[in-house]
Amino acid sequence: MCGINGIVAYHSSSSVPDEAELLATRDAMRARGPDGLGVWWNADRHCGLGHRRLSIIDLSDRASQPMTSSDGRFVIVFNGEIYNYPELRTELETEGAVFRTTSDTEALLHLYARYGAEMVHMLRGMFAFAIWDEQRRGLFLARDPYGIKPLYTANDGWTFRFASQVKALLAGGHVSRDPEPAGLVGFHLFGTVPEPFTLYREVRALPAGHTQWVDEAGPREPKPFVNLAEVLARGSANPTPTAELPERVRAGVLDSVRAHLLADVEVGVFLSAGIDSGAMLGLMRDAGQREIRAITLAFDEFHGTSEDEAPEAARVSEIYGARHIVRRLKEREFFEDLPEILEAMDQPSIDGVNTWFIAKAAKETGLKVALSGLGGDELLGGYASFGDLPRWRRRFGPFAAVPGVGLLARKLIGAVVPSFALARPKALGLLELSGSWAGTYLLRRGLFLPHELPVVMDPEIARDGLRRLKPLRRLAASLVPDPRSDSARVCVLESMHYMRNQLLRDADWAGMAHSIEIRVPLVDFKLLAALAPAIGTLKEGVGKAALANAPSRPLPTATQIRAKTGFGVPTGAWMSIAADEALGPAASRTENKGLVSRRWSSTVLNGLAQMDHRAKVHAA
Amino acid sequence: MKPSPRMLALVTDAFGGRGGIAQYNRDFLDAVAKGGAVSSIKVVPRNARGFYLLPEKIKQTPAHPSRSAYALAALRTALSQPFDLVFCGHLFMAPLAALIARLKGAKLIVQTHGIEAWPRPSYSQRMAVEAADLVLCVSRYTRSAVLNWTAIVPERVLVLSNTVRDIFTPGDGSALRAELGLQGKRVLLTVARLDSQDRYKGHERVIAVLPRLVAQGHDLAYVVVGEGHDRARLEAVALRAVGSERVRFLGEVEVQSLIKFYRMADLFVMPSTGEGFGIAFLEAMACGTRSLGLNVAGAKDALADGQLGTAVPETELAAAIARLLVEPKRDPSTLAAAVRARFGREVFAAGVCTALNRLMEAA
Repeated sequence: MCGINGIVAYHSSSSVPDEAELLATRDAMRARGPDGLGVWWNADRHCGLGHRRLSIIDLSDRASQPMTSSDGRFVIVFNGEIYNYPELRTELETEGAVFRTTSDTEALLHLYARYGAEMVHMLRGMFAFAIWDEQRRGLFLARDPYGIKPLYTANDGWTFRFASQVKALLAGGHVSRDPEPAGLVGFHLFGTVPEPFTLYREVRALPAGHTQWVDEAGPREPKPFVNLAEVLARGSANPTPTAELPERVRAGVLDSVRAHLLADVEVGVFLSAGIDSGAMLGLMRDAGQREIRAITLAFDEFHGTSEDEAPEAARVSEIYGARHIVRRLKEREFFEDLPEILEAMDQPSIDGVNTWFIAKAAKETGLKVALSGLGGDELLGGYASFGDLPRWRRRFGPFAAVPGVGLLARKLIGAVVPSFALARPKALGLLELSGSWAGTYLLRRGLFLPHELPVVMDPEIARDGLRRLKPLRRLAASLVPDPRSDSARVCVLESMHYMRNQLLRDADWAGMAHSIEIRVPLVDFKLLAALAPAIGTLKEGVGKAALANAPSRPLPTATQIRAKTGFGVPTGAWMSIAADEALGPAASRTENKGLVSRRWSSTVLNGLAQMDHRAKVHAA
Repeated sequence: MKPSPRMLALVTDAFGGRGGIAQYNRDFLDAVAKGGAVSSIKVVPRNARGFYLLPEKIKQTPAHPSRSAYALAALRTALSQPFDLVFCGHLFMAPLAALIARLKGAKLIVQTHGIEAWPRPSYSQRMAVEAADLVLCVSRYTRSAVLNWTAIVPERVLVLSNTVRDIFTPGDGSALRAELGLQGKRVLLTVARLDSQDRYKGHERVIAVLPRLVAQGHDLAYVVVGEGHDRARLEAVALRAVGSERVRFLGEVEVQSLIKFYRMADLFVMPSTGEGFGIAFLEAMACGTRSLGLNVAGAKDALADGQLGTAVPETELAAAIARLLVEPKRDPSTLAAAVRARFGREVFAAGVCTALNRLMEAA
């Protein structure tokens, strides 16, 4: 993990960028890269690049960034890891490339020099990078297929800026803080701000799996280079026999775990008592890693109860011979860290708190890199949504297809049984939204539903934000082409929305805050392509069972059974208390998880708004 | 090889028109015609009062001031011959332009200037802008305002700044100064309309700080060039503030005289809060005279964020005038060259080519 940033004064009328701005943006990302820093300007100072380094591959100073090609034409800043770097290097050397370092960054320079924008198709890994081409006087940006690494841009019409964090761009002092209604509405709908929007109109995410070119004519519209739905549609068209699933999963995930171990520093693992992280640990062992530190987050509240994950994690750790570290978390520490958590949160999110603490624990042990089982549920049908969405579509879809029925039912229930509407607000949307996959998914994942927005936020902002965000159209667009099976559709929706905008972003900011690189072998485009023919025919539980059995020594049966019952985390209760303190007591002491999340979302938003206000006052 | 596109330009006024928008449209269409990206341009104006010469490749229909007659004329022209590009020179015409672009299967460029594009426009105008393939704005501020009310992809909204004509050059202004009896005085100049709807231009802000500046010992004269219905009121305001000798209202002047006024002034000052861009700043600086404005709206672009001129908050206006009057003058030729390097005709023409190439590469 690193922090990258840059400024390109592309317009013929624009002013030469200010070095102080470049440095302010770069140094706002100190935690992303505590091991080194660099800055580079082209000859006429119309392009400046900045970098903060967390050294993981090639720890020497030669691999520092911004890195210039040997002929001086290309300069790169790169955040991420290219896992197939050794193979790429071998191929490039065969073609005559001469390497000065052993870093994957240099491989990107050689690839771009040879293949231009097409080079992104050759990369396996998580990446966000920018390459300045002095000859063409343009900047090429790219972001990995899943959006594991962040990349934000801001264009004021004269000058283009980019950085790994929204807050870093704002810290430069030249990016507008005008609000983006679509970002605010998106947060209320999903509990996270859906890309490409942010809370600020001028700041946008370069969408996952996209490239962008910027030259004297300004930034071009981002271009996609991958399409998850298409990969799954192709897979569904050529389904693999069910009997082949275990072997496909084993081979695919082992290959991905092996690739994700590439590092010149120790790679640890976040271990819960679930299947995904347990399988990661087992496969790390199969991939040949000898010393493994496995870190488990445990809660004093659960100590000695069946909710405690530590004992099961300890058993799994013992099976695979890992050094198990249990980090216990108390309520007091949660509240002590809360201001820091909000400070580190780049954009508002209703999640990420657990990742904050596990990353904190990893940092305390001296680790820089850890594998996580994030992505297993999206890839292998682990969420209840894989069953819920098709079921809701079947049961309620036909009613929802009748114009006006959903609206009528909502109004009627709201008027006749207001207590039901208050306790189960999302149930009111069932007949209105389940007519499409997009609507059903919004119903399943939504924090608030569109019809509730005018009550929880300024009605005009809600209306404007919905018009700009177009949530249903956006969700539907991610299912083009149609992945041709229920499980493949849910896989695409969960991967491209919940995982991309929530889980991966949370993993980035929460990990980054502690200078920990979180690697996610189950979020790998090559693995997706390998498993795509099997995803369309996945039956409930089969995919996760295959993952549990993927290590040469499978996960214990107790772990597999235990995982199905789920685990509780007390952070939900703590969030509820925090929300009480910020907003006043909840209407009901027996509120469900969804209602706690709603109140927590207001707490987060208020906290970030206060910080934003302070920053504005400071800047003025 | 693909034939060069043919452009239909719907404008309020261009050739034969007066004012900043007409000038911009002329500059734009002239640059398009000379740039070679299009084979022909048919201009449909609402107004064309004065005498004009059309550049090569450009033809203009008779003007139609009435809205309905204009719409009919534009539709008739559009349907009578093939067009691949529709240029809409004003937001008010965007719905008509969008309709024509759709009927013709043509690409649509919408030009926004300033104050007309800042508030949220009508539904039909907003939809028309969202249908555009390219939106051109004269400043970053106008671009930002447009993006506030449209859901258009931001990469399709480009800044194409105003340009300054080559006739504005540095020179000796002492003859005019003598003619006006202003020898030995420090001369402030504003060039702007004096209509009541243009009070944002800031004449009163300058008048309001004059007594303080005079009290500080500056022997000042404030020259106002421009005409409008608000002139009498402003004259009365000036009279009350500093008497008749210090402020001179000289009405509208021809361009050759205007150049002399710019050269004669010690400081061009226009503390306007509503500039789409503020071309008068460029004209003054191209004549070698320093310029001062507020750091709001499009003026920030014309003053290049303080790198060409000076942009200050309103509260610092008096202090800024006082400081600039005593600071050594920037070499007029150097200032003029710096202005041309950013906003000269060649830079503008290149910007037009770049924008059209963007449109073509997206085809």
